Amino acid sequence: MIKKKVTILNSAGLHARPSAALVKLASKFESDFYIHMYGYRVNGKSILGVMTLAAEEGAELELEMDGPDEKKALKTIVELIENKFGMDDE
Amino acid sequence: MPFSPQAPIPRKEKISVSYLVGKLRERVNINITSCASEHCSDERFVNEADLHRPGLALAGYIKLFTYQRVQIIGNTETQFLQNLPKDKQKEAFRRITKFDIPVIFLTDSNELPDYLLQITEEAGIPVFSTPLETTRFMYLLRDFLEDQFAIQTMVHGSMVDVYGIGILVAGKSGIGKSEVALDLVERGHRLVADDVVMLTKKSSVLMASATEMSKHFMEIRGLGIVDVMSMFGIRAIRYQKRLEVVLELTLWDETREIERTGLNHDSVNVLGLDIPLIHLPITPGKNITVIAEVIAMNYLLKHYGYDPAKAFQDRIQSSISDKTQGEKGIPKRAIEYFEGDIE
Repeated sequence: MIKKKVTILNSAGLHARPSAALVKLASKFESDFYIHMYGYRVNGKSILGVMTLAAEEGAELELEMDGPDEKKALKTIVELIENKFGMDDE
Repeated sequence: MPFSPQAPIPRKEKISVSYLVGKLRERVNINITSCASEHCSDERFVNEADLHRPGLALAGYIKLFTYQRVQIIGNTETQFLQNLPKDKQKEAFRRITKFDIPVIFLTDSNELPDYLLQITEEAGIPVFSTPLETTRFMYLLRDFLEDQFAIQTMVHGSMVDVYGIGILVAGKSGIGKSEVALDLVERGHRLVADDVVMLTKKSSVLMASATEMSKHFMEIRGLGIVDVMSMFGIRAIRYQKRLEVVLELTLWDETREIERTGLNHDSVNVLGLDIPLIHLPITPGKNITVIAEVIAMNYLLKHYGYDPAKAFQDRIQSSISDKTQGEKGIPKRAIEYFEGDIE
């Protein structure tokens, strides 16, 4: 199991579309993926779970990845978040 | 990954006295009036659910005085004070107000004389009064505080009320938990939460509810997010439900042992409580919804004192003992006698 802290950079926060992008990408990997925030731990492959966090810009998330492809999965997901989910801020 | 409950969410550390009084008025419907130091209620905090009656502290014994709890002054304390001369009353009150007491409640319409309220005013301790009797008020207050300081955890799954039994459908992402929940709703059962289930421990019961954010929304793969309450109406949802059974869906695995008789009961520990756990491997042609209904009915039967697995076992045992001890010469057939084509 590996963990990493990331910060949300999108000015609109983690709304529906970025959440969907995150969940879609996470679902491609076999590893279990959890996101920790405010003491909550949600399944990163569940869109409602991710959206429940309603993470705002600057929010700090801790990503937890556990499984055979955890390293690759974590690296890809961190890239997605750092690249603002490949979206221009509306 | 087997169903594993998660670490409890850090509980609330403290609530302000003004919040406490506000909620007691608004949610618990208690009539509360302020007697002294109301302006200090924002800076005074309650950090535990236990209550204390400061009788012994007023009488002079202040070792083990649990001053950090909410203090309740009822008939006993009031009459004790009234029986003292005025200067002794003041002395007794000064003795307890030098501690950092969060709040004092006067129950059963008891009152304190102005010179005692003056002392609490100086110490900045808020005093409130209520017409409710002491035991009733303490019960309501404790119940409220326990809820405020209850431990919670968040689990991944779908929570449905099936025939009044709270079933949590758990399992890996994409295994079809939401679809089972939707099918159950379609058959007239009630959805509590999908995907994100909050579990709150209240005494020896786990209450499941949805979060404010995801309340009665559901994600169906390939379709997106749907609103169950708007589609199926109020009958299809439920605000909260006690968690009674965890139903874990797994992919079919030949190497894994599966329960065949129902005589052995598996359970999972969630926040210190053991909850019955049922592993259900998914195979082609298996209708999980109907099985969920059967689980609920079976749970009800057991609750009413009938355990089918045990009843069947008793039948086998009596049949075996008949064979070894019973009359000889009875032919060994699965059915003793055919009555003919009547029924």
